[in-house]
Parts: sequence; structure tokens; C-alpha cells
Amino acid sequence: MIRKKAMFLSLTLLFFIFPLTIMLLQSISAPWRFHTGQGIDWGWQGFSLLFQNPQLWEATFTSIWIGFAVLFINITIGLFTGKALASYTSYGKPWLEALLLSPILIPSLAIAMGLHLFMIRVGLADTIWGVMLIHLVPTVPYSIKIFHNSYQQMGKAMMEQPHILGAGFWTQVFTVELPLLRPAIRSLTFLTIVISLSQYAITAIIGGGRVLTLPLVFFPFLDNANTSIMAAFSIWFALIPVFMYIIIEALMMFLPYSRLPWRNHR
Amino acid sequence: MKKFIPFFLLAILLVTACSETSTNTKDWTEASWDEIEAAADGTVVRLYMWGGDEGINDYIDNYVTPQVEDRYGVSLKRVPLDTPEILQKLQTEKQANKQNGSIDVIWINGENFKNAKENELLIGSFTEVLPNFNDYYNTEDPAFQTDFGTEVEGMEAPWGKVQFVFHYDSEQIKNPPATMEELKTWITENPGKFTYPRAEEFTGNAFLRHVLYAQAEKPPDIYEQPLEENDITPTAERTWSYLNEIENDLWRSGEHYPNSLTELDRLYSQGEVWMTMGYNESRAESLIEEGVFPESTRSFVMEPGSIGNTHFLSIPFNSPNQPGALAAINFMLSPEAQLEKYKPNDWGENTPISFEQLPEDIKKEFKAVERGESVLSTEELEESFLPESEAAYVDWMKEQWFNEVVQK
Repeated sequence: MIRKKAMFLSLTLLFFIFPLTIMLLQSISAPWRFHTGQGIDWGWQGFSLLFQNPQLWEATFTSIWIGFAVLFINITIGLFTGKALASYTSYGKPWLEALLLSPILIPSLAIAMGLHLFMIRVGLADTIWGVMLIHLVPTVPYSIKIFHNSYQQMGKAMMEQPHILGAGFWTQVFTVELPLLRPAIRSLTFLTIVISLSQYAITAIIGGGRVLTLPLVFFPFLDNANTSIMAAFSIWFALIPVFMYIIIEALMMFLPYSRLPWRNHR
Repeated sequence: MKKFIPFFLLAILLVTACSETSTNTKDWTEASWDEIEAAADGTVVRLYMWGGDEGINDYIDNYVTPQVEDRYGVSLKRVPLDTPEILQKLQTEKQANKQNGSIDVIWINGENFKNAKENELLIGSFTEVLPNFNDYYNTEDPAFQTDFGTEVEGMEAPWGKVQFVFHYDSEQIKNPPATMEELKTWITENPGKFTYPRAEEFTGNAFLRHVLYAQAEKPPDIYEQPLEENDITPTAERTWSYLNEIENDLWRSGEHYPNSLTELDRLYSQGEVWMTMGYNESRAESLIEEGVFPESTRSFVMEPGSIGNTHFLSIPFNSPNQPGALAAINFMLSPEAQLEKYKPNDWGENTPISFEQLPEDIKKEFKAVERGESVLSTEELEESFLPESEAAYVDWMKEQWFNEVVQK
């Protein structure tokens, strides 16, 4: 047991904490040229360059807004599709499941290029709605899969019970299913937000530069030899999903039968 | 199944509905300048350009944007997007026959320009209407007539020019090599201290073309000739043998080449290699200031010369605000804007403007600009200047380099 724990600790140190610390240090120092034998120059240069960028805030808010919208649509689609897949059995179900997963098997860039033409025609190109729609392509298959599994684990009996007790459809969703699906929503939140936040190519094509998200500002800096800016940008980038996760976690406390920290429980 | 029918109907409706009909009615490239200025007042211009350099972004945001607002009442919006993505977007819009686009000005040259021109993604010849271009630029300059071998035909306006230089750490190297042969000797004497980016990469490809120029009888044999593989076979053979001879003494014995200039810059920054290179003779200045490059960084060019090229501004075919775009481009070509761009604190880039055509006071100001210690003198750069070859050489080099150098 102790060996296992030590193993876990050393692995997290090696692959998680160590690189993260290095990045933190990098972001608050000038690029370190160790061969020169000089020490490290500490300073906020990386972050000050980051905040100098006038597009940073606009891009951050757009990204967060798109992220939440994509998450909400994902939960809606995933929940009902997952439920349907878990509760009905029909002849072509394996085919249907494969079809629903296909967007992650086909490169999303190819889909985006094809859809761009369509979006121009319907007037969705260059708009935030178009970008939200295209972000559904790489995320919806995962959410369907996640909810499908969760419903299957829950079992049919759990769904029949409220039905027998006379709950309507929505009552059942809100009082029985959603509270039980909390772990699924948690993993979905992280997955969706991280995927939506890191789409460069498809956002650039559909948003056409008019919808300014964080990767659009961030990715061109990959061609920059200044590692401090890169590190500062990466940290900013990593903080956003954490922040959004906290908000979702807070929202989930308002689901029925949730344990509220400010109320007394047995 | 019945439940889904409304959805299908909706989808079909969406597909068949709205096909755009609006068109740009007026041909602004024929209009008088007063008319253009009047129409530009109070409009929004969207400038799409690569956004990965703080210096360049600053120059646009903090200098150009307030100035064009002041002069023409044009509010300039910079949109960061890579050029291939911009062209992809325009291509699809062309296919969808969208006449009312969102891009007004793009920053372009070389292969991208060739693609854009061939696919008719630009509005056409417009440089003639720009007062600043006609007044302060040598419109007959071959550097503005062709862009990597593609005829410009007034479809793009010269905005800046850069020249390829090598950078070295003057603390490690006292006398940088003066010819390609000397470079080879230097590499043999200092194994592991030199490398160049892969041929697929813009800068690496330029380095290889320098070797090609040097191995030709004389450089015009390459840049004045369209690519005929049979004609350059002897030159190509010498180029491959040069590259294969230095390979063993490159960084990591040439088993691995940097994938990008950024990678090479980082190696140089860490002292792994002692030389780096790149277009834009003054690019080391800001990197030295940021502490990425050592302060002792200097630059050099070698015989038979260094390749330089011009980069341009152009207007897409479906720009919604052509007069605004023309006004903004006219300002960016003006002596004041070029002077500001020339100063090392922001961008520090060279200007394509013709000094002989400038008023005395501005000429003096240009002369007075200190470009920084790592930048070679204008005379030295001009003396070594070589034009770009046709764009076909770039692709040829990409293919051949892998077969002839990496695989041997």
C-alpha cells in the first residue's frame, strides 16, 4: 500500500507538479539562458506583455460565453439522446450509435470546410452562433456517450420507479435523473470546455476572425521564441476552465436533493 | 419517424433559403482620390493579418489605428488570422458567391499572393489610385513588379521589405564567415554548433536557396530563370554535395533538423548552436531587448549575397469597404508611417520607400534612425541584395532536399 502511494506521488510529481512549476517559474522570469552562467531575471514581463494585448479580454469573454453555451447545448442533447439510447432497444441501434460517434472519427477540419459553405448561405458564417454550432461537432459525440453510459449504469428500474409514483417527465428529469447524473455532468463540463476552448482551425474558418476567441490570439504566439509570453499565455489559458468549472459546480448545488454547505445536514 | 419530418423540412428550407444577391456596385479602383476619401470617412476597415509578434501588433494598435482615425475617420480593426486561413475563407466565400465579405485589407506575399491571384480572390489593380504610392515609391522597381516570380500588376501595394541575414554570438565567434565555403570550414571546425530549419519551413527553405545561389555559376542563373530541372542539374548536384558534406558536423550530426525557426532561435538562445538566421535584418533587436538572445548578438551576410523580398497589402474581391481599405493602405504607405515602422522600438523593419523621392526633412529623419547594433548598415545590405527566385524553386527544394540530403 505504501509503495503504491509513493509510486503515485512520484508520478504526479514527475508528470504534473514539476512541469507546472517550471511553467509558472518561466512565466515570471525572462527566458533563462543557462549556458551563460547568469542567474534568472525575475519579472512580470511575460504577464505584462500578455495584458498589453488589447484583444485579450474580449477574446477571453467570448471564449467563456461560447464555452458555456456549448456546454448547455451539449447537456441538453446528450441527456436526451443518451436516455433514448439507454431505454429503447431497436434493430438498428449499433448503427445509430456508430453514426452518432462519427463526427469525432471524421476530421473536424473537413467538416468545418464543408459546413462553411452552408453557413455562408444561411448567414451563420462569421457569427458567434455559427461558432457555437461548429463547436458542437467535436463535443456532442462525447456527451452522448457519457450520458448513455450513465443512464445504463443507473438502470431501468430507477426510471420506472418515479414513473410508477406518478412523476411527470420533467419532474423525473429534474428530481431523479439530474441529481444522479452529477458525476457525468462534471466530467462533461471539463471535457466540453477544454475542447471548445482549444479549437483554433474550425473557429477561424467559421468565425472568420470576426468571432475572436482565445486560441485565435494565443496560437500565433507559438511562433515566438520568447518562452515567457508563451508560459504566461498558457497559464491564463489553463485558469479559464478551472474558473468555469467552479461556476458549474456552484450551479449544480441548486439541483434538487443537493447537499448545500450552508445548511445543516444530519 | 413521423416526428422527424418537420426537422427535415426545416433543414431543406435553410439550405434553399437565403442566397445572397447584394453586389458591390462601384468600381473604386477607377474613382478619384477625393471621392475615395469622402466615402472612407466614418467607416470601419478590417485588417486581417498574422498576429504572433507583439512588436508588429503594437505598431498597428498604438500607431496606425489612431492615425487613420485622425486622418481619414477610418476605424481600423486588426484581426489576427494566419494568411492561409484567410485565403481559405475567401476561397469558400467565392464559391458561395458571397459578394459582401468581412475582410478589407490583407497582408500577403509570395506563394499566398500567387494563390490569391490565380483564384481571383483580389479586387484587381488598385495601386495606381494611391497618392502615396505614386509620389514616394519607385513604381518601376522590379521588386514591386514581381513577387516571387508572380507578376504583381498593381494588385498589391508594397508595405515593407526584409532581407535574409545570419545572426551570431560575437562572444563565441570573432570573425563570421564571409562566403559559403568559409561557412563550411567553420562548421567543420566547430562541429555541432550550426544547423538550419527543415526545407518545409520558410526560413530553412531560404537558407537552402542561398546555398543553391552560391553553387550556381552566378546567382542570376537561378533567379532570372524559370525552374527547368535539367538546366540546373550540375548546380543542384553541387548543392546536395555541399549539404551532405556539412551534415555530419551539424547540430546532433544532422540526424534532426529544427522544425521551425522558433526551434532554431531557442537553440541559439540556449547556446546549443552559435548561429541563427532569418528574414528581417533587424529581428534580433527586439529579441535581445526581451532577453531571449544574448546581448552580443550581431548579424552578417555572405557572398554571393542575401535574398530579400517585399511584402504587400492587398484588398480581397468582396471587401465591404473598398474606399476605407484604400485610405488605410495609403496611410500605411505614407512616409510618416514608414518612418515609424523603421524605428527599432516597435517593429524596426526596413522600408520599400524610395529615398530620392522623399522631401529633405523626412529623408534626414530616416537617416537619423539608429537601427541598433545587431543590424547591418543600409549600404552593406543593399550591396548584398539578391532578389527571390520563382516560387516554383521553393517547392522543388522542399521535395528534393528530403530525398537528396535527409535520406542519404
